[in-house]
Amino acid sequence: MTLAARITSSLPAPLRTQRGKTALAFAVALVLPFLGHNGGFTNFLADAGAFVLLALGLNIVVGFAGLLDLGYAAFFAIGSYSFAMLASPQFGIHLPFWLLLFIASGIAAVFGILLGAPTLRLRGDYLAIVTLGFGEIVPQTFLNLSQWTGGPNGIGSLDQPAIGPYKFGFDALPYYFMVLGLIALAVWVANNLRTSRLGRAWMAIREDELAAAHMGINTTTTKLAAFAMGASFSGLAGCALASKLQLVSPDQFGFNVSVFILAMLVLGGMGNIPGVIVGSLILSALERFVLPQGTNFLHSLHLNLDLTNSRFLIYGVILVMMMLFRPEGLIPSSQRKAELHAADDDPTAAAHEQTLYTEGVA
Amino acid sequence: MALLEIDNLVARYGRITALEGISLTVEEGEIVTLIGANGAGKTTTLRAISGLVRPASGAIHFAGRDISRLAPNEIVRAGISHSPEGRHVFPRMTVRENLELGAYTRTSKAEIAEDTARVLEIFPRLGERFEQKAGTMSGGEQQMLAIARAMMSRPRVLLLDEPSLGLSPKLVQTIFAVIRDINARGTTILLIEQNARQALAVAARGYVLEVGTIVHSGPAADLAASEAVRAAYLGGAA
Repeated sequence: MTLAARITSSLPAPLRTQRGKTALAFAVALVLPFLGHNGGFTNFLADAGAFVLLALGLNIVVGFAGLLDLGYAAFFAIGSYSFAMLASPQFGIHLPFWLLLFIASGIAAVFGILLGAPTLRLRGDYLAIVTLGFGEIVPQTFLNLSQWTGGPNGIGSLDQPAIGPYKFGFDALPYYFMVLGLIALAVWVANNLRTSRLGRAWMAIREDELAAAHMGINTTTTKLAAFAMGASFSGLAGCALASKLQLVSPDQFGFNVSVFILAMLVLGGMGNIPGVIVGSLILSALERFVLPQGTNFLHSLHLNLDLTNSRFLIYGVILVMMMLFRPEGLIPSSQRKAELHAADDDPTAAAHEQTLYTEGVA
Repeated sequence: MALLEIDNLVARYGRITALEGISLTVEEGEIVTLIGANGAGKTTTLRAISGLVRPASGAIHFAGRDISRLAPNEIVRAGISHSPEGRHVFPRMTVRENLELGAYTRTSKAEIAEDTARVLEIFPRLGERFEQKAGTMSGGEQQMLAIARAMMSRPRVLLLDEPSLGLSPKLVQTIFAVIRDINARGTTILLIEQNARQALAVAARGYVLEVGTIVHSGPAADLAASEAVRAAYLGGAA
């Protein structure tokens, strides 16, 4: 029995359903910040939550629609800068935060369509390379448009969210609860999309784009919808994180951010919403706690190794290990599991699958 | 006017001309077959009809309407369904999910249920495998699924590209029996086959395509009897 199954079977009956597990997870999330003994833990939770939002957004593009996007941080940048320009002294515009959540995700979605459109004819490696390019171009553009974006310094003194007279201030706790609310929204939206007509069209395109076109699926609008929906989630994350940090700057949105988010999907299980959340939390925790603590531990052994400097090496090793031993991710979607483990479960199925591919080529 | 009418269709891939002005018609209720060697342009013809290849010139009329500039999804909605060469079932989806996607352009749940029942009646095997992943089924079962899935859009014309490819002789018989059955239930069929003998046996009329040009056409029985066709496509004077 897998660990997940063992945990599930130990739960009381009402919590074993999907709805029950979701409710339980959110209940735990609500008390989590009060378990830490200092503000640092809450601060971590709020940041990690923003990355959960990003991972859920990228999961729509890569996990649902199968479009390998290596430049997702571009949309995160666009969402963050949209917020920063409309809620700071930069232009003297101070729109209300809650309105900006919609505006920033709307702007990010529009750019999802604009940057998605030139990639529509591309697949696989080629799509990855072009999105990689966009991921580099967008932060570079924000860096160079310094009369509007503050160049390398970025934009500071961003407005804080407020509910009536209550301002969020500098304590991480209200930001954490806001991010948690946004995650709940994002999970709800993503889950409904997954089972919707659009979601089925995404999965058809992921499985076989040609066949999807034969089914009467408009592959152009369906793929653009994936880019737009995925980007809109990053607009939410951008508002949340920028308002919490009170700052945006171009160096927050580099290639390593895109890869970090993609690694969350690979680790957790592409296409699976709980998997993506777990993968995202694990990598955030690794980044914030495990590597610095590990470094301290090594120092105490008089080993002068800085793990935080070699974190990409460590992520790389984790990804390679995942590909070797559990390519479907920690919590896989049933379809990826079927694809990658057909041979283990049922030798005849594997043989059939072999026939499928060889005959398909013939 | 014929249900499907292709007039002087030219299709190119870059500088290579795949179809050099072909014309053909399919009447309502007919089975028409298009035979020819590899590379003759058979698949290109079907892809042009279903909008996946944009014609360089010429017209394609379906039920009186010019469809040559429509997008593939609009053509499916208009009533033409295309079961592609190599089957292209969704391997990691179940038979049920594949059929649901076949009905993607439709909205009435009652009609979809009705059509699911109908294709399962034509292909009882798919009913037995209803919740099985398509990729784990045999080649013949996948071919049945590909045809059944194409039927789920309730087409007036069904385009079949090489349905017998890679199947055992016994399964080939089954597939051709099914093609007759579907046609008898009222669906018009344009069939591409390398198995010219079988194709001419089920079809009312046929066209022979050679490097982008139609070189023979006529009633299927006449083509099957013609010396030139026999020599080229039916393995000599068999």
